[in-house]
Amino acid sequence: MWRKFILIVAVIVGVLAAVGWWYLVRQVPDNYASDEEHFKYASIGMEDSAGMPYWLWLVMPRMFPEKLPGPGGYTSLGITWEEGKEMPVGFTKTTIGIPRVGVNCAACHTTAVRKTPDDKPQLILGGPAHQFDIQAYQRFLIACAKDSRFTADAILKELTYTHRFSFIEKAIYRYVIIPYTRRGLLEQEKQFEWMNLRPDWGPGRTDMNPFKLMVLKLKDDRSVGNTDMMAIWNERKHEGFQRHSDGLNPMVNEASYAAALATGATGKSIDIAAIQRVNQWLLDLPSPKFPFPINPKLAERGKLLFDQQCTMCHAFGAPRVGKLVPLADIGTDPNRAQHWTTEAATEFNRQFGKYSWGFSHFQGNTGGYVAPALDGIWARAPYLHNGSVPSLQDLLKPVESRPKTFYRGYDVYDPVSVGFISNVESRRGRGFFKFDTALPGNGNGGHVYGTTLPPADKTALIEYLKTF
Amino acid sequence: MQPLRTVSRKKTVLRVLFLFAGIALVVLYLLWPSISNGVVDYADIRDHFKYGSIGSESANGIPYWIWKALPELFADKLPGKGYASLGFIQEEGQDRPVGFSKRRVFIDRVSLNCGVCHTGSVRDAPGAAPRIITGMPANTMELESYTRFLLACANDERFNVDQLMDAIERVGGRLNFVERYVYRHLAIPQTKAGLLTTAARLTFLNRQPQWGPGRVDTFNPYKALQFNFPMEKLPDEEIVGTVDLPSIWQQRPREGMNLHWDGDNSSVEERNKSAALGAGVTPVTIDLPRIKRIEDWLLDATPPAYPYPIDSALAAQGAPLYRQYCADCHGQDGRNLTGKYLGQVVAVDEVGTDRHRLDSYTYELLENQNTLFAGYPWRFSKFRKTNGYANSPLDGIWLRAPYLHNGSVPTLRDLLNAPETRPKMFYRGNDVYDRENLGFVSTLPETAGRRFFLFDTSLPGNSSAGHRYGLNLKAADKNALIEFMKTF
Repeated sequence: MWRKFILIVAVIVGVLAAVGWWYLVRQVPDNYASDEEHFKYASIGMEDSAGMPYWLWLVMPRMFPEKLPGPGGYTSLGITWEEGKEMPVGFTKTTIGIPRVGVNCAACHTTAVRKTPDDKPQLILGGPAHQFDIQAYQRFLIACAKDSRFTADAILKELTYTHRFSFIEKAIYRYVIIPYTRRGLLEQEKQFEWMNLRPDWGPGRTDMNPFKLMVLKLKDDRSVGNTDMMAIWNERKHEGFQRHSDGLNPMVNEASYAAALATGATGKSIDIAAIQRVNQWLLDLPSPKFPFPINPKLAERGKLLFDQQCTMCHAFGAPRVGKLVPLADIGTDPNRAQHWTTEAATEFNRQFGKYSWGFSHFQGNTGGYVAPALDGIWARAPYLHNGSVPSLQDLLKPVESRPKTFYRGYDVYDPVSVGFISNVESRRGRGFFKFDTALPGNGNGGHVYGTTLPPADKTALIEYLKTF
Repeated sequence: MQPLRTVSRKKTVLRVLFLFAGIALVVLYLLWPSISNGVVDYADIRDHFKYGSIGSESANGIPYWIWKALPELFADKLPGKGYASLGFIQEEGQDRPVGFSKRRVFIDRVSLNCGVCHTGSVRDAPGAAPRIITGMPANTMELESYTRFLLACANDERFNVDQLMDAIERVGGRLNFVERYVYRHLAIPQTKAGLLTTAARLTFLNRQPQWGPGRVDTFNPYKALQFNFPMEKLPDEEIVGTVDLPSIWQQRPREGMNLHWDGDNSSVEERNKSAALGAGVTPVTIDLPRIKRIEDWLLDATPPAYPYPIDSALAAQGAPLYRQYCADCHGQDGRNLTGKYLGQVVAVDEVGTDRHRLDSYTYELLENQNTLFAGYPWRFSKFRKTNGYANSPLDGIWLRAPYLHNGSVPTLRDLLNAPETRPKMFYRGNDVYDRENLGFVSTLPETAGRRFFLFDTSLPGNSSAGHRYGLNLKAADKNALIEFMKTF
């Protein structure tokens, strides 16, 4: 009698465990033949902790379009699909029990550019994702979860148009996936509260504060660490460079793992091998060629000026390139250089030092910004560490004549000023982000080099910079 | 005592069993129409095409008796009697007009199929019997007016349970009490709610010039219905995408050509599934075997021969002209669909035709389309954003008037005239054939009580400019060319 009972219980528990494993835990590794596809679509290990169930992710824009900055679903956040692809570039679809969506390196490191408004966007892998508003993306998902229509009934009803769930799947979604996703997003809302006390990132920018406040759980010192996303091509040439705009770490591996943690991966879930494959490929990924004609004569004249005025800090192999320039010298907005404290760096090294791939090189209170090499500089607009100057032309202007406000997020390029068009408020119903240089962390002062050159010299210099 | 009691207990059990069995039988009898989920299959492929289901009823169908009763209850919202007054083709002895399918999804529902947009009619003269031709563009039916009629009904206070149930009775609905219950408490309220939701999503139609007969906006309703784009935020430049309905014969040689007017998809199969979404299927409800039957038939289906006399000597004179001026882009003739540029996209600046349709198909829409049929092997992956319009084959071209992608030029003869001299206004919707000019009679506002649609080429999306080819031919050469094209 007891034996039978135990046997029955064991079978029931076993079946439940198997069902639970299949729908919630089972991992199916993704495998991309080419490094490019791997970079664009492969998981780096954040879907388990911070991924969004695929079917929910798919219908959120259809259920809550009013919470997006424009029509076009996720595209209105600067998210871009290649023709024919199920997922946008930088977005992963991977199975952990159920299909889940995450982001990877490409989300923040792929530049979309159009030559004219009617063109399709061209994607530059490894370039800064100046068009993608990752903060708005996160806030959109949270806003969906907060909405009273975010219920199992409503979501499953919307999904009947898209996907036929099995009976078990439906139950799992109704009783586990949907409520837990909602709870997770509401939890994130609390964790992200500090963002509401600071200027918005806008498209193409990010911050180290998520580590300080959410991972290391340090006290909120109200610092602003907003910084422009970076280009990550030509890594071999950048060996030994200080990483992050404020020079937090000289090791590319540590910087890339930190970036993966920023997407939501944890010390346990991070996929080091997947990131290593990306890093390996980035070693020799070339920077993109300027897609418009260049006047070679003018560029040649510009080279003379560059060699005189800029080389010291901005040419590969030059004495100061890749090294920190103190705030007092560079004069750009100080917020970012002050937000990552020694305390944060020490704690970061300590908490993640225990892993085999762990951190030991993070430093804080660097008090300056790294002088970057300028490979592919045309594609790296807006300029300065905080993306506060829309074009090279503007950067060569005296500080007081640089634009006080401008729009970020539009991917149509202006080959004259060398930067993305920044005076267009909206396109196809998508409102762009108004960048206000008066806000904390957004100052466009400093880096006054070359601002006093005669106009003809500036033109020549800019022409030369197009060849980078 | 003991045995007696057993007997009577047995009897009681039996009685109860019989009672339950009886109730079950009655319930089964009453529910049978509902649970015997069925689709009518037609032996003749043409009937299947005109009346068969492609799976659009479950998500977007109207319960049959509501659909039947609407023209009775809301006769004031129709230009004439019944759905036929909207230009739908009503064949004798048929319950529904061409293009209206029926399927039982708990209750019978009516929805649209491929035939609604791709079956037309041709008359030799006013009052003559129509030739119903499958595969040709629907030339008389007004899809927008039909949609607006349904939405207007749902918005009307008369769309309520009592008045609809009365109307259903008036049109011959003999519902049993289970069906009555279902209609009262589920079908009618749900249909009203569904239509009102659709109405809210389709308010952008008010920003477009009226489609008129034989035209449809493919991709703006797509944005609204598949993806719930907030349409009010879309700029005017992409809000008008109205085009002429196409013919769908001879799909086999079209595989790999750039299909749709702007050539946005090169897969016949994917284009077909996309069109089915437009008719109301969803990735879940699409009836692939029944669509496959149509697809297979269309691979080699051919247009009917021109039924009026052809001057073969004149046509023979036209052949070399056609080869010289038209064949590279449009194929050798109506059957040999090969040509240097056939199926390729010509930049809009070069062809010069109205650009609204091109601009209505946006890269942002394409990005969202990539997620359609997600989870199925046939997920959409072939859509591309182009910069112009595709050169299409001309099989059955005599049946495909009016011409150009937006149906802005009434006849082939007009198309061979300079854009400045093409008709600025003309009438669409007449099915009487104009043998002189090759097209449908486009100069009459009405015939035999049926009013036609005044097409105004000055409205957004309606321009008849561009395609300036063959304009300078001599009149005799144009005659010969037209005569030759009758043979397609």
